[in-house]
Amino acid sequence: MRAWLTTVDHKRVGILYGVTAFVFLLVGGIEALLIRLQLAGPGQRVVSAETYNALFTMHGTTMVFLAIMPLNAMFFNYMVPLMLGARDVAFPRLNALSYWIFLFGGLFLNASFLVGAPPDVGWFGYANLTTKQFTPGASVDFWLLSLQILGVSSMIAAINFIVTIVNMRAPGMTLMRMPVFVWMTLVVQFLIVLAFPPITVGLIFLMFDRFFGTRFYDVTAGADLHLWQHLFWIFGHPEVYILILPAFGIVSEVLPTFARKPLFGAPVVIYSGVLIGFFGFGVWSHHMFAAGMGPVADAAFSIGTMLIAIPTGVKIFNWLATLWGGTIRTTTALHFAAGLVGLFTIGGLSGVMHASPPVDLQQTDSYFVVAHLHYVLIGGSLFGLFAGAYYWWPKMTGRLLDERLGKVHFWVLAVGFNLAFFPQHYLGAIGMPRRIYTYADGAGWTFWNFVSTVGAFGIALGVLLFMVNAWRSLRAGAPAPADPWDGRTLEWRTSSPPPPHDFDTIPPVLGRDSFWREKYGRGRGAGGAGASGGPSAGAPRVPDDHIHLPAPSSWPLLTAAGLGILAIGALTHLAVVAVGALVTVVCMFKFALEHHRTAAHEHQVGNLGVDHRKVALWVFLGSECFFFGTLIATYLAYKGRSVVGPEPHQILNIPLTTLSTFDLLMSSLLMVLALAAVQRGDRLQARLWLFGTALFGLIFLGFQVYEFTHFVLEGLTLQQNLFGSTFFVLTGFHGGHVTVGVVWLLSLWVLDLRGKLGVADAVKVEVAGLYWHFVDVVWIAIFTLIYLIP
Amino acid sequence: MSTVIPRSDFARDILHVYAVITWASVGIALVVFVALGWILVRFRDRPGAPLPAQTRGHTLLELAWTVAPALVLLVIAIPTIQVIFRTQAVPSPQALEVTVLARQWWWEFRYPALGIGTANELHLPVGRPVVLKLEGPDVIHSFWVPQLGGKRDVVPGRLNRLTFTAETPGEYWGQCAEFCGASHANMGLRVVVDAPEAFARWVSAQRATPAEPAGLAAEGKALYARSACVGCHTIRGVSAGVLGPDLTTFGSRGTLAAGMFPNTVENVAAWLRNPPALKPGVKMPALGLTDAQARALATYLVSLK
Repeated sequence: MRAWLTTVDHKRVGILYGVTAFVFLLVGGIEALLIRLQLAGPGQRVVSAETYNALFTMHGTTMVFLAIMPLNAMFFNYMVPLMLGARDVAFPRLNALSYWIFLFGGLFLNASFLVGAPPDVGWFGYANLTTKQFTPGASVDFWLLSLQILGVSSMIAAINFIVTIVNMRAPGMTLMRMPVFVWMTLVVQFLIVLAFPPITVGLIFLMFDRFFGTRFYDVTAGADLHLWQHLFWIFGHPEVYILILPAFGIVSEVLPTFARKPLFGAPVVIYSGVLIGFFGFGVWSHHMFAAGMGPVADAAFSIGTMLIAIPTGVKIFNWLATLWGGTIRTTTALHFAAGLVGLFTIGGLSGVMHASPPVDLQQTDSYFVVAHLHYVLIGGSLFGLFAGAYYWWPKMTGRLLDERLGKVHFWVLAVGFNLAFFPQHYLGAIGMPRRIYTYADGAGWTFWNFVSTVGAFGIALGVLLFMVNAWRSLRAGAPAPADPWDGRTLEWRTSSPPPPHDFDTIPPVLGRDSFWREKYGRGRGAGGAGASGGPSAGAPRVPDDHIHLPAPSSWPLLTAAGLGILAIGALTHLAVVAVGALVTVVCMFKFALEHHRTAAHEHQVGNLGVDHRKVALWVFLGSECFFFGTLIATYLAYKGRSVVGPEPHQILNIPLTTLSTFDLLMSSLLMVLALAAVQRGDRLQARLWLFGTALFGLIFLGFQVYEFTHFVLEGLTLQQNLFGSTFFVLTGFHGGHVTVGVVWLLSLWVLDLRGKLGVADAVKVEVAGLYWHFVDVVWIAIFTLIYLIP
Repeated sequence: MSTVIPRSDFARDILHVYAVITWASVGIALVVFVALGWILVRFRDRPGAPLPAQTRGHTLLELAWTVAPALVLLVIAIPTIQVIFRTQAVPSPQALEVTVLARQWWWEFRYPALGIGTANELHLPVGRPVVLKLEGPDVIHSFWVPQLGGKRDVVPGRLNRLTFTAETPGEYWGQCAEFCGASHANMGLRVVVDAPEAFARWVSAQRATPAEPAGLAAEGKALYARSACVGCHTIRGVSAGVLGPDLTTFGSRGTLAAGMFPNTVENVAAWLRNPPALKPGVKMPALGLTDAQARALATYLVSLK
């Protein structure tokens, strides 16, 4: 048991994700069944209106953040290192940290039920319904705090996987030789890194409005309620690609394996995935066609949305062409993958309908779009996940799932799902709105709602059958060989389940579908290597005693617990916040220093020729660009909209701020000197310049404290007007980043004082330096846009 | 509330685009499903089957199935853009302007040019362009009467607009279509499209002061005038509250409580006795009325035509 709490093994972390997410899937499923029971007939009283509103809010939030995303993460964790020929992810302890934060975030969200305040404002929480004025209780606070916690988990994991994929591939594994599942994973991680910052900012605005009285969503202060919608959907639309691309990746592995021929047009499938990810950032306002953006915006987002249908359709055709001419073994995994192809086509086509604003004006906020989203999320994501489950179960557990029961599971689920959701297209077309806890008898909606409820129970039965299958397999299932499906990719080259170190020796990479090439050569037919089981079967295990296995650690669990305490404190008492913050910070230091000076951790350069930690920081800086970009954009959008003063030109002190800007710029120069000193082992200068940089940072903060105090005394507070809210939050968060930088630099300085910062640790100083310079550059942008430009 | 039985120019324009997309979608779905089904049968594994040819791709095919969907999308995009601009064009100066104030959980309608106002039931003249100016005093709602067109959100702080011409007299149902709190499901509305004479009669009735009631209704009016009702409601000549719906011509409406119940004395009395029990979260409290009092009040209100 203790081993699971301190594990950093990607396979175990994957299983933790999978089990936890599956439990949340059941929770979300029960919420759905209650919803469907309430709607099975008109005027029912299965649940009250308030409970119903909480049920659909929690169902959506749970399924998106606590079920589908972490189920995807289960496969990212378990399979991506294996498919790359790596032995783990780039940062195994951060990987465990992501899991524990996810667990605590999910528990925190559901704890809201225990105190009678479950979120009840929709999973999309539109302001101003979510403001304290209209929803005063703790429900929205639970919701926004949970999402922030879960966002941290996803961000950390995303950075981890990006570094792993670009920097830890086995020799010979070029990017284009990577399995399509890994490519889709890579696109998803970039989507997470760039899409989460905007919603983080939107939630910060909501949190500050509710906790500190800012005005971001206060219409009387001049706020624009479209702000929330834009920030939410700039995240929300990429989020749906985050949910579906892994399933597309799974199908791209399953179909070739069971058709016994390569993925048709693999490069095209890869490029289309990248294009979808890229363009996915340009279509968010198709969720706002009814919001009144004006015809030009409507038209622009409509065209963008239609364009995205093209790369998606291309994938469907490539999958069909993969099956065409193959020798198709109709295993359960193949059933689910083929099911996705059909069901996602339906979901995608209803999506194309929504892409047309005139039509969408009838369909949005009706059961038509509920049908659409469930076709793509269940028919797409869930069917893809089940395909992956049946496909990879032998590898992960060493046992086979029962194929016959599996096919029964598939048909029960497929029939139940279509029964539940196809009629909802019709219900939407005859005018049934969504998010309603009841409806009138005379509306004509009764019959198909009843049918839909029956279908929902069919889905439940299907999931139950899977649980039975899983249980029986784990107890007494047939043992699985290393390569039960005659697979094409590297995970089949090691035992089922793999040993702790994944591979006895790092596998050779001969091309795409490398393992297949090893077995069969480039063309059709056995190339002499023999098709029986593959090269690793029968070969004696030769443990490589140069393999470094990441050591277990308790700091991930403890750091996550600190965050949990922080969140609880936000809803209870400031003292608890302080305790949580203290625990988190202490654990972060312990975490960071746990392997300081461990020889095996010194050299972490990968495929790109760059240290993992530097790559990680660059990715993080990318997310920070979106974070600060969102804050700055909000400032500019709200410029001139304040209903009362003071206004910028009345209060900003340009000369003084020029001084502090100069100070910060000089600090970057000192940072450069500090790094140079560490790199050449000049301990005296290293200490001097590290301290100097931190000191200049502190001076900058001193200027900022003076400025803030002066402003408050002049009547500009956080709550005074939009200018106060946007200005203080933007510059305050920047100041927070400077503070983090100062603490970081002083920590390095202390390490140096103790003689523990040598030439070998230069990369750590370099990483801190990159962060510091970035914070400087952001300040230049802020200074220019907020102070200098009138 | 069907979206496919249009009764206005707006709804008809939408249905036209809807039809184009639906046929295109059905066609594409058929192609994919037939192909999928045929492939799964035709290329099924047979015992002893050799490894299939390891085909990697085909550039021409990739081009074909990229260009073909793009062309289909073009066919969809053109009417889409046309209808977007046509239905959001500047309204004609002859248009009848109605201000729609969407509140938790009822609808207020004001006709500035006609000097009248009502609640939950919108009367419109047939054949004349209408501009609905959507204003939100509390949270975001959405005005949706499917047979008269698509929906438009009511966003506090913004001025959204919906323009259309109703083409057929009749009664049409609508409902709020943006989640707005506890009784979002109970925020219906009724639109009555009148022939010109009927509309003129209705407008006059809105302007008139209600006649003095008799019998039980008179008792109801007396009770009304001395109860808390007057703090929230307007009845011309009796009270001037603005927090709740205007009740001056309450009796002429087909439903009460924003489309929740048919407007009968029994239903109104039940409502008056305990509004929160019937409409979760409603701001109108139970006033501690006896059954007799409720009946009297209900009789009075239903008499207000």
